[in-house]
Amino acid sequence: MEKENNELLRTENLTKDFGKLRAVDNLSLSLEKGEIRGLIGPNGSGKTTVVNLITGVYRPTSGGVYFSGRRIDRLSPDNITHEGIMRTFQVARVFADMSVLENMLIPAFTQGTSRREARHRAQELLDFCLLGKLSNEPTRNLSGGQTMLLQIVRGFMRQPLKLYLLDEPFAGVHPAIKDVIINTIQKMNREEGVTFLIVSHELTTIRRLCSRISVLHGGGVISEGTMREVANDPRVIDSYLGG
Amino acid sequence: MKEISYTKITGFKWYSLSIAALLLLVALLPFSTGQYYLQVFTVAFYYVILASSWNLLAGYTGQFSLAHHAFAAIGGYTSALLVTNFGLPIWLGILAAPLSSALMGFILGMLCLRMRAIYLAIATWAFAESVRITISMTYEITRGDLGLAVPKLFVGKGQGVAYYYLFLGLAAVTVLMIMFIIRSKMGYYLRAIRNDEMVARVMGINTTRWKILAFMLSSGIAGIAGAFYGHYNGLLTPVMIDFNEMAFIVIMVVIGGIRSIAGPLIGAILIELLTETFREFGEIRMVVFALAVIAIARLYNEGAMGTIRQFTQWISRRKQAREGVN
Repeated sequence: MEKENNELLRTENLTKDFGKLRAVDNLSLSLEKGEIRGLIGPNGSGKTTVVNLITGVYRPTSGGVYFSGRRIDRLSPDNITHEGIMRTFQVARVFADMSVLENMLIPAFTQGTSRREARHRAQELLDFCLLGKLSNEPTRNLSGGQTMLLQIVRGFMRQPLKLYLLDEPFAGVHPAIKDVIINTIQKMNREEGVTFLIVSHELTTIRRLCSRISVLHGGGVISEGTMREVANDPRVIDSYLGG
Repeated sequence: MKEISYTKITGFKWYSLSIAALLLLVALLPFSTGQYYLQVFTVAFYYVILASSWNLLAGYTGQFSLAHHAFAAIGGYTSALLVTNFGLPIWLGILAAPLSSALMGFILGMLCLRMRAIYLAIATWAFAESVRITISMTYEITRGDLGLAVPKLFVGKGQGVAYYYLFLGLAAVTVLMIMFIIRSKMGYYLRAIRNDEMVARVMGINTTRWKILAFMLSSGIAGIAGAFYGHYNGLLTPVMIDFNEMAFIVIMVVIGGIRSIAGPLIGAILIELLTETFREFGEIRMVVFALAVIAIARLYNEGAMGTIRQFTQWISRRKQAREGVN
């Protein structure tokens, strides 16, 4: 009973077909408030599609997505954001013609935060992520890692941020910046209670960050538990080895 | 040691002084030029309104519409028909103009919502052509290609000066309004939509609402400009919706500097002055302008405004370097 009260996100028999291809197959996934969940799986297992379904980018073929007990899979992406869900993209997507600070202000503006408050929080977050000195720099001048960092930190401008879906946040990122990303995730989880669903191929980082891991294969969850548990699951070993 | 006996004028003061001098020049122009150039500037200010409002839609929001001239015509014909057929006062006709243009902008915006780039350009061009053909064919109402006589707003000896200040005021209000929009939260949303619409949506921006609003706003502004133009020119014909008109607007914005506040202003005045100065060369002017647009798009897409910006930055860098040496 207590577990049910603590549930933040639930997908029920979530299915997504692209023509004859079934990308997500009867997926039932549940996330508790305040957890950092890892979502791993081999290429083509449907991880990004799951993120797209939760954030309204795709409409499910069947099944549903429930957030704090409310069905959200019929909502548009902007309305899902207003529920307190943010996401990042696998290839970092920032507003290229805008400065770092301007990128940060947009999520705050969409929820009605004043310009003064938004600038204050933006500068605080940028300083923490070591991007503070670049706040007036056009984003096209940033390195790949800095762009990824900006994409992630921009999401924290939404308050309250209840669920943050990070799609491959460590891919191709310099180890120093990777550490900053990890520190930021841990800080926001600890201080602001943000729940994370992190899609990643970097198992060592996932092990460092996540208490629980869900393994996706063929569009469905084949294993769930701690890293030790899933690593010893023969179905997981088979899926990674192409079994 | 050299004694400095003058007051040092800082960069900001130079900038303010230049703007003040330019404003004074524009304000005093009617007293120092003839009727012909007064008319040229009046029409240039009309194009400033069209170019600036198109820049809001195409430049800042990324919706490359080719129907902007048609919205000006819709505004012009709305006011003219209400005044001539229903006996409404001119000011009421002018007030109705932006409403009809914005309504048509809303309908077209909704229809083209999911279209991008070339598809949006083709659809809006088709809409403009449909408006032009409809006006040509409905002779009983619009007097078709013969043209619709429109009552003038000002008559008498001083009308040239009155129209000059009227269009100057309208252009100033339009530019200031667009500057305010771009610096507001709405401006951030429009720029975000142009950059990456999907990311804008996941940041919480209702992209449908803001894209439609941008379409309605720019169409409404074009409608007001068209209405005033009709009551200035005294005659409206479907020539107002020739593709050349739209091409002029695009040329003005690109040469002036797309996605800048001052760019369309500079571009509209420059192109209108060049068009009139080289009138004897006929249509070859369009070829020259088109080549200039290709060159700017290929080599330096920030236009005249970008050049001015770079020049002032260069001056500032040189000044800093000199101060560093001293």
